Amino acid sequence: MTDAIRRELKFPQPPEAVWRALTNSAALAEWMYPNDFEPRVGHHFTFRVPPKPHLEDGLIVQCEVLKCVPPSELVFTWVVSNFLNTRVSYRLEADGDGTRVLFEHTGFEHKGARTGAEYGWNVMHGQLSEALTSQRSSR
Amino acid sequence: MLTADPEVFAAISHPARRRMLDLLVEADCPVNAIAANFDMSRPAVSQHLRILLEAGLVTERRYGRERRYHLTPERLSPVRDWLAHYERFWDDRFSRLKRHLERSDKR
Repeated sequence: MTDAIRRELKFPQPPEAVWRALTNSAALAEWMYPNDFEPRVGHHFTFRVPPKPHLEDGLIVQCEVLKCVPPSELVFTWVVSNFLNTRVSYRLEADGDGTRVLFEHTGFEHKGARTGAEYGWNVMHGQLSEALTSQRSSR
Repeated sequence: MLTADPEVFAAISHPARRRMLDLLVEADCPVNAIAANFDMSRPAVSQHLRILLEAGLVTERRYGRERRYHLTPERLSPVRDWLAHYERFWDDRFSRLKRHLERSDKR
């Protein structure tokens, strides 16, 4: 069972242009969601997913920049309440005149189901506490 | 792809209800104990709890004369099918990213 989403994307634009789209708050608002992103490690930011018919109040995704190496690597956490504690990463490589982007979204909780544990709830909470503890200690 | 009960998604879409579920992970709670954590009226708290009850995410249990809310974690398992949800989410976002870069080229 996979616990990650991986994509290899190719763009005709050079890495600097793609990097700008990934790390400029206004650009991110255009193709992702409204946000207060800043391209520096340790910066905490949110994506505000607007309400939809089945998501009456929208959703706040809480993130922290873990790695930011222009124009080649960007990693940030992707946390939704207690339900999802994951990580998003982009790696950019020059590909001729264009750019190849290796995208990963990892850390989905399928471990509980795999081991037959009780729906992974305890696992998830353990990981959340760990994440909170390490966040606190790293501040 | 996303086969989870829409009622469950609607129920967890509200931040207050997600916090209520978080509280109930710790222990079964009576409505007073839940309400104490929220800056909202009792009827509002009860309304949220009713939505959680109707979605089957919590049940009521009797403790002597008191009724407490109990989390039903197995109802959340379809919600954990985040992968399917996010596969679509990212593919949609990346097609927007592609269009964004094309537009930027022309500026």
